[in-house]
Amino acid sequence: MTSIPFIFTLSLLIGLIFYWIGARIAPKGTKTPGKLAPYACGEDFPPVRLQVNMERFFLYTIFFMVFDILAVVLATSLARPGILPALYALIVFASVMLVLPLARW
Amino acid sequence: MVSTELIIKIGQILVFPGFLFLIFYALFAEWVDRKFFARLQNRIGPLHTGWKGILQPLADLIKLLAKEDITPEAADSVVFATVPIILFAIPLTVMFMVPIIGPKAYISFEGDLIVILFLFTLTVLSVFMAGWGSLNRFGTVGGLRTSLQMLSYEIPMGVAAVGPAILAKSLSLSGIVAWQGRSMSLFLENPTEFSLALGIAKASVLALGFGIFTICMLAELEKVPFDIPEAETEIVGGWQVEYSGKKLALLRLGGDIKLVAASALMTSLFLGGPLGPWPIPPALWFLLKTILCVMIISNLRALFARYRIDQMINWMWKNLVPLSLLYILAIELMAVLM
Repeated sequence: MTSIPFIFTLSLLIGLIFYWIGARIAPKGTKTPGKLAPYACGEDFPPVRLQVNMERFFLYTIFFMVFDILAVVLATSLARPGILPALYALIVFASVMLVLPLARW
Repeated sequence: MVSTELIIKIGQILVFPGFLFLIFYALFAEWVDRKFFARLQNRIGPLHTGWKGILQPLADLIKLLAKEDITPEAADSVVFATVPIILFAIPLTVMFMVPIIGPKAYISFEGDLIVILFLFTLTVLSVFMAGWGSLNRFGTVGGLRTSLQMLSYEIPMGVAAVGPAILAKSLSLSGIVAWQGRSMSLFLENPTEFSLALGIAKASVLALGFGIFTICMLAELEKVPFDIPEAETEIVGGWQVEYSGKKLALLRLGGDIKLVAASALMTSLFLGGPLGPWPIPPALWFLLKTILCVMIISNLRALFARYRIDQMINWMWKNLVPLSLLYILAIELMAVLM
């Protein structure tokens, strides 16, 4: 009973209880085309999947990868804190500082 | 044959400090947040339901549950219906790993801090799925903004949370809380000038970590300076735009529990969790400290205006990430000195 999956399942069940209560006390209502259309501030937009240009943020994802690995290294350096993780952080910091001017924001 | 131990355990899960307590505490925290925020803006805030409007969040919840629930025709109905339950369940699960009634949490093992950070990331992914699944332009843009935000605040958040863990030499929240109590009592037993200086240095470095963590929690909770994904004035609610009725009720309740979970994390990582001087019991200390954190968050909400998404990401990467790295360097130095 002290495991995360057990508690998580129980939380999901409680969420389902809220759904059940909602289904019991809420009015059913009628379905009209206007109600079921996606909200678009009154404009007539067909519901299509948007293709989003992520190019501007590609650099951020690269930096995110580098720093995420750094964060994991720091988090697992508990047993031997001190010079090595600090040195690793400094190296990452310096190399990122070198790369930064290359990027055109 | 039912043993008393089992009954106590079931009571702990379901009532205190379990689900019932957490849900009502989350509603109370929302009331504190709204009332304090309103007073800072020279408004009255919730007033009519209960004492000074204390029942207003509960009334809102019931009202939303009793409203008609509309699923748009184009939406992916499975994703659309699952996400509110997941967004409600994740912060509840996190709260079971936070020490509330004593220095030991209900679920505690070496490494639960990592699990908590992972679960917080999972909420971001679910928010993205909610925006994407509702197949609405505003929803999609909101979901994308959430994941972009996540790219920028995730690193400082993780690094700030790891700071106390390195000093405590433990990756579990309960271990960190126990370390905070232990180092305080060690200092009180043997107060020398060196230990006082070290203590002040530790406290000031960790205060920096607390600041970084608070900023990241504001982004995680999508509170005002960083409420870009649900910006009501530009993308009319963002990823939440298509939600109504019981689903919106559950989303809002999940948001409240997330507010409590975030302030509970701030409390246990930096403010000593449920520990405190004797006459006040630990659970009450925990409540006082989390309410203080909720008030800090609503104060910052009242103080700032919303950033644009590129401003926020640039600011985070250019200022907060280097600052958090300097912070972790100082922490490693402290760990060597100890």
